[in-house]
Order: sequence, then structure tokens, then C-alpha cells
Amino acid sequence: MWTWFHQLGSPKWFYELTGRWLPWLVAAMSLLLLVGIVWALLFVPPDYQQGNTIRIMYIHVPFASISLAFFPLMAIAGTVTLVWKIKLADMIAKTAAPLGAWFTALALASGSIWGSDIWGTWWIWDGRLTSMLLQLFLLIGVISLRSALEDTDAAAKACAVLSIVGCINVFVIKYSVDWWNTLHQPASPITTSGEGPNGPEIWVPLVIMIFAIYLFFAVALILSTRNEILQRERRAQWVQDLVRTA
Amino acid sequence: MKPQRKKRLGIILFIAAGLSVAVGLTLFALSQNIDLFYTPTQVAQGEVNPGQRIRIGGMVKEGSVLSAQDSLRVEFAATDYAHDVPIHYEGILPDLFREGQGVVVEGSINSAGVFQASRVLAKHDENYMSPEVKAALDASGASSANHQLQPES
Repeated sequence: MWTWFHQLGSPKWFYELTGRWLPWLVAAMSLLLLVGIVWALLFVPPDYQQGNTIRIMYIHVPFASISLAFFPLMAIAGTVTLVWKIKLADMIAKTAAPLGAWFTALALASGSIWGSDIWGTWWIWDGRLTSMLLQLFLLIGVISLRSALEDTDAAAKACAVLSIVGCINVFVIKYSVDWWNTLHQPASPITTSGEGPNGPEIWVPLVIMIFAIYLFFAVALILSTRNEILQRERRAQWVQDLVRTA
Repeated sequence: MKPQRKKRLGIILFIAAGLSVAVGLTLFALSQNIDLFYTPTQVAQGEVNPGQRIRIGGMVKEGSVLSAQDSLRVEFAATDYAHDVPIHYEGILPDLFREGQGVVVEGSINSAGVFQASRVLAKHDENYMSPEVKAALDASGASSANHQLQPES
């Protein structure tokens, strides 16, 4: 009953499938990005106390929310690597780490710029900001661990364990604003009526931007995983055929 | 699933669960230290020693702000609607600073019970809206959005 699972883990199958998906993903991403950015910059009403600075939210929130997906993704891939020894899972985990570091850094940077204007400081060691910075360091740790170990299998196992451990920090980031008092605000509850705070005129473009950035992440992950597949499977017949015909 | 794989999965789940419990207990034990600021109620209850460098979070009390004409000196009270702390500060305030707004101040309490702030930061809540929605809410008296902004203790 587990054969389908192993078929799913075939790098060749993944390469061909994503090759067919990529144009559609890129098209959807471009459309959503265009709509989201134009809406957020031109048509979202300024905030009653923050004015136009509120527009930073449409970059900050998507990058921050997707940053939380990296450790769970790497932990699931790591578990598959440790238990089933499926190579594709490790290729995805390997390419996810640097992407995660970039997304986390962008979330921190955009938040810092926002904070400098509204809070009056670039940085404060509160629960949310500190745990997010810890995630950036953990991701840099995963990347360094990977490059420090020569043997691919040993590196895969070590990174898988670190990713599973690092997962715990995601809960700390998510609930830091509820567990402790922080300068960072808690999550905004949305209202659907349009007559209260956080109405549809504010969150609809935000949802579009979140989907756009998620698609951007998917495209970036697929592209770098395909690259990794070609490198690791360079001795396989199908890769050599592919290179010859290209 | 092969028994060997089942065993490996079991070990991973066990380690993950054990670590989560360990981290959870550590964070629970440290929760006082991870809090960013003290509330005026905590200050009133004597949890803070004079001279100790701390942060206090609260709302700028309505009608409490006095600013000097010839300098950047300002006096106000931070409140959590149960207790107040008088605060003295000299410096530039964030744009969002006003009465009824959330603030986090850094500094220490002197022997007279006045908090000498070296830095004032604005804390805003999670409610975003246009000025029109805000005006409508205020007119209907439904919101005092700012009151929801009280730092939780």
C-alpha cells in the first residue's frame, strides 16, 4: 500500500510534473501580485492613526506568515527523509532553508522599517521580534550544518533532526504576542461587515497579497528543487537524455 | 509500514514531544522575564524597586499630558485604568503619542515614585480602519477602540 508514496518521491516524476505546473503557477503569481500591489498602494484607505504607513502591512504580513511555514515544511520533509529515506524530501528540505532565511529576513526588515516610523524604534527585544530573529539564526544554522557535512546522507539526517527541533520555535513565534506582553500587536481579528475595524477594504487585498507571496514561494521552491534534482541525479539516464536534447 | 520504519517514526515523535514539553516548561518558568513591560498595577503592588531599569506599558491618561513651552520636557501619567504611574521625559516623542494612546516607556522609578523615562515608544493595537470608519464608530459610541488596547496583565 506504500508504493504510491515511493512513486510520489521519484525525482523524475516531480521534475516532469512541476515542469507542466510552472507556467500556470507563474501566471497566477504575476496576476495576484499585480492586483495585490496596485490595490494595496493605491486603493486601500489610509489608517485613522498610521496614515499611509499602513501599506507596509501588505508586504510585512505575507512575508511574516509564510516564514512560519518553513520549519514545519522542513520538519515534515525531514521526517520523511529519516523514516522512508526518500531523496526528494531531502532535496526539498535543502532548497527550502535558504529561501526561509530570505523570507524571515524580509519579514524582520519590513517590520523594522514599520516600527521605526510608528513605534519610534527599529528594534526591541520583545517576545515576537526575538523569537523571529531566533528563527533566522536557526535557519542559518541549518544551512551551515548542511554545508559543513561532506556526506549527503549524513547532512540530510542532521538537518532533518535540527528542522524537527526548530519547529517548536514556530509555536513560540505564533503565540508570543498572546503569552507575553509585547510591543508588537496581537493578530488582527477581521470583520466582514465593513463597519468595524479591519473590514474587507483592508483584509481582501491582504489575502490577495498572501496568496501571491505563497505562489512566489512555491515557484521559487520548485525552481531551486528542480535545479537540485538535476545536480544530484546527474548520473541518471533520464537527466543525461534531458541535457542532450536541450 | 515496515516495523523498522515504524520504530524510527516512533523515536522521532517521542523526541519531538519530549522537547516540546521541555521548551514549554522552560518558557512557562521564564514567562515573567519574557514580558516586555510591567503594568502600572504591578508597579503599584510594589513589584518594582526604585532605581531598577525597567519598562512600563500602559495608556497615556486623558488630561494628564503637560509639556514645557521652552524645552522637550513632558510629564504624563501611564495608566491601565486601575492604577497610574507619573512619568517624566525629555526628548522626542513618537508621532503616535497622544492621550489615550498606548505607550511603552523605558527608565526607572525614583524615590519620589516618579518614573524618569529615557525612551518613549508608541504601542498600537491590532485594529486598522479608515478615518471614516473610525468617525462612524465614535459617533455611534460603539467603540472606544483605544480601550481595547489595554496591555493585558
